[in-house]
Amino acid sequence: MPPLSFSLIRQSTHRSAARRGTLVMASSPSSPAGTGLVEKRVIETPGCFMYSVKGSVPHLTPDTLRLQGFGGVHVSMEHLLQDHQTKGDGLEKWTSFNLSKFLHLQDMILLCDIRDPSRYAKVPFNSDRYVSMLTHKGVRQLTLEDYLKCIRAYEPDIVAIIADSISDLEPATATATAAQTTLAAGGDAGAELTSMAGPKRVRKSVDRSLRWLDQVLRDRQGFDTLAEQKALDVARKEERRLSLQKMKEQQAAQKAGGADNADALAQVIQDLEVKDSALPTLTSQVKLSTVKTKTPWTHKSSVFAHVVGSQIEQERIRSAEETAKRDGVDGFIVDVKDLSSGSGFSHEEVLKLLKVSLDHLPAEKPRLVYGMQTPEDVLSSIALGADLFDTTYPYHLTEDGKASLFSFGASSESQGTADATAASSSSAATASTTNRWINLWDDEHANKFVPIMEGCECYACKGGKHTRAYINHLLKAHEMLATVLLMSHNMHQYSKFFANVRQSIQEGTFEEQTQKFVTKFGAREPIRVPGDIHPAQLIVEASLTKRNRLDGLDDSHGGSSNNGDLNKSSSIEDGGLPSLSDMGHLSAVAAEKEQRRVEREKRREQRSEERKRNIVNKKEKRLQRKLEQLRLQREKELEGKEQ
Amino acid sequence: MKSALKWDILAKCSTTKARAAVLTLPHGPVNAPVFMPVGTQGTLKGITPDQIEGLGCQIMLNNTYHLGLRPGQELLDACGGAHTFQGWNRNLLTDSGGFQMVSLLKLAEITEQGVQFESPHDGSLMLLTPEHSMSLQNSIGADIMMQLDDVVSSLTTGPRVEEAMWRSIRWLDRCIKAHKKPETQNLFAIIQGGLDPVLRKKCIEEMVKRDTPGYAIGGLSGGEEKDKFWRVVSQCTDLMPREKPIYCMGVGYAEDLVVCVALGVDMFDCVFPTRTARFGNALTSTGTLSLRQAKFKDDFRPIEEGCDCIACKSYTRAYLYTIVTKETVGCHLISIHNTAYQLRLMRQIRESIIEDRFPQYIHKFFKDLFVEKSAYPEWVVNALKSVNVDLIEGDKQQA
Repeated sequence: MPPLSFSLIRQSTHRSAARRGTLVMASSPSSPAGTGLVEKRVIETPGCFMYSVKGSVPHLTPDTLRLQGFGGVHVSMEHLLQDHQTKGDGLEKWTSFNLSKFLHLQDMILLCDIRDPSRYAKVPFNSDRYVSMLTHKGVRQLTLEDYLKCIRAYEPDIVAIIADSISDLEPATATATAAQTTLAAGGDAGAELTSMAGPKRVRKSVDRSLRWLDQVLRDRQGFDTLAEQKALDVARKEERRLSLQKMKEQQAAQKAGGADNADALAQVIQDLEVKDSALPTLTSQVKLSTVKTKTPWTHKSSVFAHVVGSQIEQERIRSAEETAKRDGVDGFIVDVKDLSSGSGFSHEEVLKLLKVSLDHLPAEKPRLVYGMQTPEDVLSSIALGADLFDTTYPYHLTEDGKASLFSFGASSESQGTADATAASSSSAATASTTNRWINLWDDEHANKFVPIMEGCECYACKGGKHTRAYINHLLKAHEMLATVLLMSHNMHQYSKFFANVRQSIQEGTFEEQTQKFVTKFGAREPIRVPGDIHPAQLIVEASLTKRNRLDGLDDSHGGSSNNGDLNKSSSIEDGGLPSLSDMGHLSAVAAEKEQRRVEREKRREQRSEERKRNIVNKKEKRLQRKLEQLRLQREKELEGKEQ
Repeated sequence: MKSALKWDILAKCSTTKARAAVLTLPHGPVNAPVFMPVGTQGTLKGITPDQIEGLGCQIMLNNTYHLGLRPGQELLDACGGAHTFQGWNRNLLTDSGGFQMVSLLKLAEITEQGVQFESPHDGSLMLLTPEHSMSLQNSIGADIMMQLDDVVSSLTTGPRVEEAMWRSIRWLDRCIKAHKKPETQNLFAIIQGGLDPVLRKKCIEEMVKRDTPGYAIGGLSGGEEKDKFWRVVSQCTDLMPREKPIYCMGVGYAEDLVVCVALGVDMFDCVFPTRTARFGNALTSTGTLSLRQAKFKDDFRPIEEGCDCIACKSYTRAYLYTIVTKETVGCHLISIHNTAYQLRLMRQIRESIIEDRFPQYIHKFFKDLFVEKSAYPEWVVNALKSVNVDLIEGDKQQA
């Protein structure tokens, strides 16, 4: 019996699919007894997993973390896996550890996925063998074998199944039409990109995800799925060899008939690719083993499966239905991040695609949604039947120096009004300032000796201890306490937002309150652009970057070794130059890096455009030459005739 | 002059010049000997005020120079001082802004009137006179404020050292005159005179006449030879009045703390523990752990066994290895640990003085840190010998 259980307290109504539930995780047998940690861990839904980087919720130490009111943490493998662990090596030393103990999160429900749910950066493509992930040391490939090794060592409460989510830097050759293929063949594979994958790629992503799901589920029961995979691979290879041979024979026969050799071979290979999964005979003879040779981990981790399908409705439905059929799936993850971030889909279209997935999932199991973070996105998703989210939104607010002021539901109305007034008066500074948050980089807060939000019970606001003026000072001084306080506030408010949403569902006022929320705080927040930072922040970071360069600090991001030299920056603090901190170095460096990345991408695009033009030009020239030749030939012929 | 503190000596070491005391300041008692963490810009490097209090910290430092630039005097006045501004209800000590002269000398010009700085933020000129320093420190409202002194590098020799010494005395007089809140804020004089015993003696004589609530030994920790450093410290504590707290500025390495306490110093400050934390270096009784090193990737022990800080209670070295210098949390955690380490060290020293077993403590401390006696720094051995603790032979006698 997996330790996870999900119960719905209030089901969806005819008006909305919003539901109120409880996710309960019994203490796993592997967690040491007598640690004083709670026996039962709970996330009330709709609710949130705290977003973490390298297993730490950004800026929050374990004590402040527990003041926020969240019951779960989301951990991404791509953050945690160091070089030495990418292949699961080093994890065998975790004899007395699992992930929750390692991260000191035994009192939280721990969900472990592969990729960062907040990152919009594209990663190189996946293949049948691996998923690409973006570690801090660059792109790494995670194979099923490594993945299984990791989750067996990690023993997270909830395992997100390895899935072929398309967030990829896919070469166009994989998706585009024949004409485009010819074009791309001229350029290098990375240069030609498409924002959305084609139907074939999407179908493959669904198939691959299902195959991996089946394999993980078998591994979970103790079957040696990797051995089965190997047998299958051998069979497939043999099949391919045989059919290639056959084709060659056919070719030889055709050669006499004068058919173009290369074309035929290309056709054969293409056929093979397409029919790859459909080929019968040898592969179907490989029997799944009936003996459990490995230790089952059914009782250690529950399983959430990714539902994929990108922009194609039928594939989304197929993915949802097929995934739901599998025995042993405890919950689902629907990732619309890539649809919602600049791929040309409207908000309505994204919601429609999300709805397609959610509608085809069994009601009694929890659904986690990635890529829906702003309050109104969360509300829309909840209305479609989503249960779980992550805290990327408050994290992003914090990184931008923003403090949230929005609130949901009847209980927070009085408080909201006062703040809304305060905020609307402050909207002069930047156009983006709306009454749902304030930006504490704004100069106007420099002399506001009031907490971010009157009556807020978060660590930063409580008792009026930390004022807007102080946080403004900390931001400008580039002091790390700024983000600690902002994160405390934003996380606390986000958690409160969810609590109020739950209450409204329970009271049957969710739709009404959603309407009120939209009226009060506006329908939609503009999509956050990572490079779009407050002018004051730009000034501070620019001065830091300049100084770093003077200090001779290297800008490599994993630059622990470079930042390590004490003497190099001995003047930082006691030397009296204010506003320098090492995290300052990092973020300033990151900002600069980001800028360079954007420039690089721009250049790359230009190059690719140029290349395309060149190819087209060449083609045209070739055609013109041919035409010219034809013309000359015809003229000669005509001349010959005339003569 | 008036004083807003009480200095109660609880115990004196029967071997060395060390003493344990309670320093009662406007924002509560401080157990001495004390190490004061440095919160330069009104915050201790990502640690929340509650966390600092939780570590048992009773007094923290702010820098006048920085707070004067930002948020600035006007805002400090408007909110009622630095305590309220940063949500810290315990004691604060501010420097005068003078120390920044040494490090920012390129930007500063020192005249009899004061020090002219170029603001690093907007390039505008800022004149720091003794009067201005006092005015700023009055606005900040620190429980202990330091006089503006003419700091010269401890490596400087010649007439400039003497000039700085005499000017510091004249500036002390101007500070005393300009100090507006002697009932609630204590002004400490700073002894100057470089490495010259004659100048130091003269300076102490003059400054003791001014009868400030406490005295600081300034102009050290600037890269001078350790053997000269300890001799100046020891000479000063010999000549200074024993019924007042003695503060040695800018000292914070564990071995320096132990030696200086034995030489009779009561108060210390240093940015070292929090600064080194940001580079992933954790302090322990057996030396510094550089947690960036790959050798810690499979080390499942806490930073230091028996440490009750949140980093040691929650995480292994292996986990810290993955986040130090990469995540702010890693930085916060090591800062917390290092501050906890410094404060614990001072607590242990204090307890051993009260129980009159400080010499034994010294022996154990250096054995833990250096293991081999041959590794003991010579200056440490010499300094301790001057206060009757023989590190090389002494422990045999005690055993």
